Amino acid sequence: MDYAAAFRISASGMAIEKTRLDVTAANIANMHSAGTSAGAVYRPMKVVAATVPLTFSQQFGALVATGGGVQLASVEPAQVAPRMVYEPGHPYADAQGMVAYPGVDHTAEMMNLNTALRAYEANVVAMNAARTMAARTLDIGGQS
Amino acid sequence: MTLEAIGAIAALPGMDALPASVAVDKPAAGFDAWFAQQVGQVDAGLRVADNDLRALAVGNVQNLHEVMIHLEEAKLSFQLLAQVRNRVLEAYQEVMRTQV
Repeated sequence: MDYAAAFRISASGMAIEKTRLDVTAANIANMHSAGTSAGAVYRPMKVVAATVPLTFSQQFGALVATGGGVQLASVEPAQVAPRMVYEPGHPYADAQGMVAYPGVDHTAEMMNLNTALRAYEANVVAMNAARTMAARTLDIGGQS
Repeated sequence: MTLEAIGAIAALPGMDALPASVAVDKPAAGFDAWFAQQVGQVDAGLRVADNDLRALAVGNVQNLHEVMIHLEEAKLSFQLLAQVRNRVLEAYQEVMRTQV
């Protein structure tokens, strides 16, 4: 009755999708935060997820190695050029009157939001399936 | 001809001294001990879920899904315990209904 392992795998997936949602929300929130210079401007972050490597006992003992879920590898700044906007009156404007804004791709961030949401839902469904399976197991030999 | 070598085993001293039947020891831990341990584990799970709910109520929970998963785990372990109890009680009642 090792349903806790299935729960843990789904929980790791949920945690990573939650992180993805948080990071995307931060990107969208900072979409219009101007930087004092092109180098100091906020850079859109990107979540990098990685498979949890199997432990030695899992690799040794498991005939069919079950995955150990997912883990957060890193949250890295995306390599995008800042968006330069001509605003001469802005306090952060440079000599040419240009202000640096983060190069947040609005469409891509909305897509990230949607995929994170759907992936989270999928993890919940997988966990519910494991729970239903466990509950059905308890029905074995029961009345009716 | 080489089979005769096996016959030498019968000549070993002490071969007939083995007891005819070996008394089977009772298992060290009986069902009651196991059941008490399971009750303790279920109680620990319920306590974890309870603590999570307390933390949720006062607002210091990092991720909500951990709370829900702990609740589910506690629920499942309790259901398993209840099913074990049901089976044991069924067996008991079956014995009590025996005609003598």
